[in-house]
Amino acid sequence: MTWRHYKMPDNTNNKRLFTIWQTAAAVIAGAQMEKTEGVGEPVLDVLHLTKSFGTKTILDDLSFHIESGEIFGLLGPNGAGKTTMIRIILDIIKSDNGSVTMFGKVFDEAFKERIGYLPEERGLYQKITVFECLKYFANLKNVKKPDDRIDFWLEKIGLIDYKKRRVSDLSKGMQQKIQLASAFIHDPDILILDEPFSGLDPVNTKIVKDIMLDLKRDGKTIILSTHQMDQAERMCDRILMINHGKKVLYGTLDQIKADYRESPVMVVEYEGDLKPIDGVTEMEDYGRYAELGMEMGTDPQEVLRDLMESVKLRRFEMKSMSLNEIFIEVVNA
Amino acid sequence: MSKTLVVAKHEFLATVKTKGFILSLILPFVILLPVVFTSGYAMQIAIDSPRNIGFVDETGIMQPDGIFIEFEDIGDAENALLNDEIHSFFTIPPDYLETGRVVLYRTGGFFSSAPTGLIEAFIIDNLLHDSDVDETLGDRIRCPADMEQITLDENGDVEEKQEVRFLIPYAVAILMMLSIMTTSGYLMQGIVAEKENKTVEILLSSLSPEELLTGKLIGFGSAGLLQICVWICPGVLVISLTSLAAIFQEIQISLIMILAIPYFIMGYLLFAGSMACVAAPASTMKDAQQGAMVFTMMGILPIMLLGVIIAAPDSVIARVLTYIPYTAPATTLMRITLTGISACEIAASLLILTISVFVVIRLSARIFRNAILMSGKKIRIRDISGYLKR
Repeated sequence: MTWRHYKMPDNTNNKRLFTIWQTAAAVIAGAQMEKTEGVGEPVLDVLHLTKSFGTKTILDDLSFHIESGEIFGLLGPNGAGKTTMIRIILDIIKSDNGSVTMFGKVFDEAFKERIGYLPEERGLYQKITVFECLKYFANLKNVKKPDDRIDFWLEKIGLIDYKKRRVSDLSKGMQQKIQLASAFIHDPDILILDEPFSGLDPVNTKIVKDIMLDLKRDGKTIILSTHQMDQAERMCDRILMINHGKKVLYGTLDQIKADYRESPVMVVEYEGDLKPIDGVTEMEDYGRYAELGMEMGTDPQEVLRDLMESVKLRRFEMKSMSLNEIFIEVVNA
Repeated sequence: MSKTLVVAKHEFLATVKTKGFILSLILPFVILLPVVFTSGYAMQIAIDSPRNIGFVDETGIMQPDGIFIEFEDIGDAENALLNDEIHSFFTIPPDYLETGRVVLYRTGGFFSSAPTGLIEAFIIDNLLHDSDVDETLGDRIRCPADMEQITLDENGDVEEKQEVRFLIPYAVAILMMLSIMTTSGYLMQGIVAEKENKTVEILLSSLSPEELLTGKLIGFGSAGLLQICVWICPGVLVISLTSLAAIFQEIQISLIMILAIPYFIMGYLLFAGSMACVAAPASTMKDAQQGAMVFTMMGILPIMLLGVIIAAPDSVIARVLTYIPYTAPATTLMRITLTGISACEIAASLLILTISVFVVIRLSARIFRNAILMSGKKIRIRDISGYLKR
């Protein structure tokens, strides 16, 4: 589903009418989409979102949508506007312009029960027990049998033995896992996780990553805001990268990488004497390792076939720009 | 249960379980009860068990009577005192009539006091016993002045006794403002604590800022109400079950109590709403307390001007303070006990207070929504007006 973008009118009344029109259009479009079953159904539509604090524009006419069951990466450098956007999606703060529709409907308070949120700034009540803390959050989400859900999640994150302990007695990593459990406790349809891996050791990082993938398999939609490009690259189906409140990258990783691909480069490790190959315009040969710059449109299969005639191949791969490299290039641009 | 009530229940339980709150409930009793018990016990000892008093008379004037026992010499009296047979003893030397000199001997002890009044009455009785003084004059010598005091005002009119009337408004005003300030202080601490421990953003992902603020107002307000009930109920019980009840009959206690409820609730909402306005944008408790200083000062203004209000309850100052929302609760309750404040004045005061509460709560909800996630900045008036415009 793609949205047509319209120029924002300057006049305030027209802006208001424009926003109403956008919302109506999004609701109609959402209603049409509800007829389509299955994965890929848009669960969140953001249209022309604009937000300023004083004279500083934080979000500048931002539009995107998130599909059901995907892990959607929300990327950007510090101060790009990611947290502000999340807060607007959650209706914690109001946007100046634009609309947010969820499940084809204009956002209202009831939708908060379908969203789980892990904010970047972690915090829990320190003077109460883990159980009391989780029960309070569960009650705020109208969880029917909170005790069972608390036990289930504490078991899952390996902290069931700490149920009756005061939160202040737990380590920072344990507290972070408790906070994750609080985001999942009400079985939400959409999870917004802001830097979920920060501060976790490799063991706990794996636990959290596995939980996220389990939730994805269960059909949950995950919005992952992170600076860790390698995690985003491995886990996200689609990404949105913003910088200074503006959309700079948006789409699937393949699309984005294709857009940033220069002339293709093949990396090979080999034994033997490397000879000139048709379609290879540049060759960085190190004796046992080489990077072959190929002409645009050259079929890598043809190059491989030619290579195998002259050398014994031990390893080969097509080299592409990593998301991290794209991120740095975009931010520095 | 609505989310507002979930927050209210959480805040109420979190507050009443704190050591500080439990101490604030218990401490007055821990301090006051032993004092009351001890003084009562001491008085009981003095009243219920008058003990014998010995004397050694070298003039031959005194005759043993009732609790007064005569001893032959000081040695016998000392032995009796040390054996705890008598409370104390006194000696009357031969030159007593010329000098009036009497020496009292007694042991120490926490509850021990000199029975000088009893001894003086005993000596007067003995001196008058063989004299020609008639009975009426004798009574006057024994009790020369049953004094009544009358105070005149500047017009020469007799002023009514105001001791109790002075105490009641003072106690009511102090207690009410103490509870309002403590409770709204809890709210302020609660808001800043959630900002500091970063839980506020999680809460706001579950409910609206208005629901959160309302839940806090109800939760902390209930804790305050519990506190004031625990303080007042035993007091009311003591008054109603003892002779103090007669003293308080003159005062319009029922009217004060009926009006105290709306004034407490409205006063609490006004101060709590105002505290929320400064707590939401504050980054630290210190910042919030500095911002709340102006409201605290306004709250205690009627206490500071207590003398003026008591001296002239219908003066311009007292009337103006009745209509200023922040000073109305304390001032109005004080004036009710001191003067015939009209129903119109009370209604107008309550109306202004209610409208102010409505405005302040709306403003605080707006500031709360826009400022609760701000951090790292000092509170500035300009920023607060900015939060209101958003």
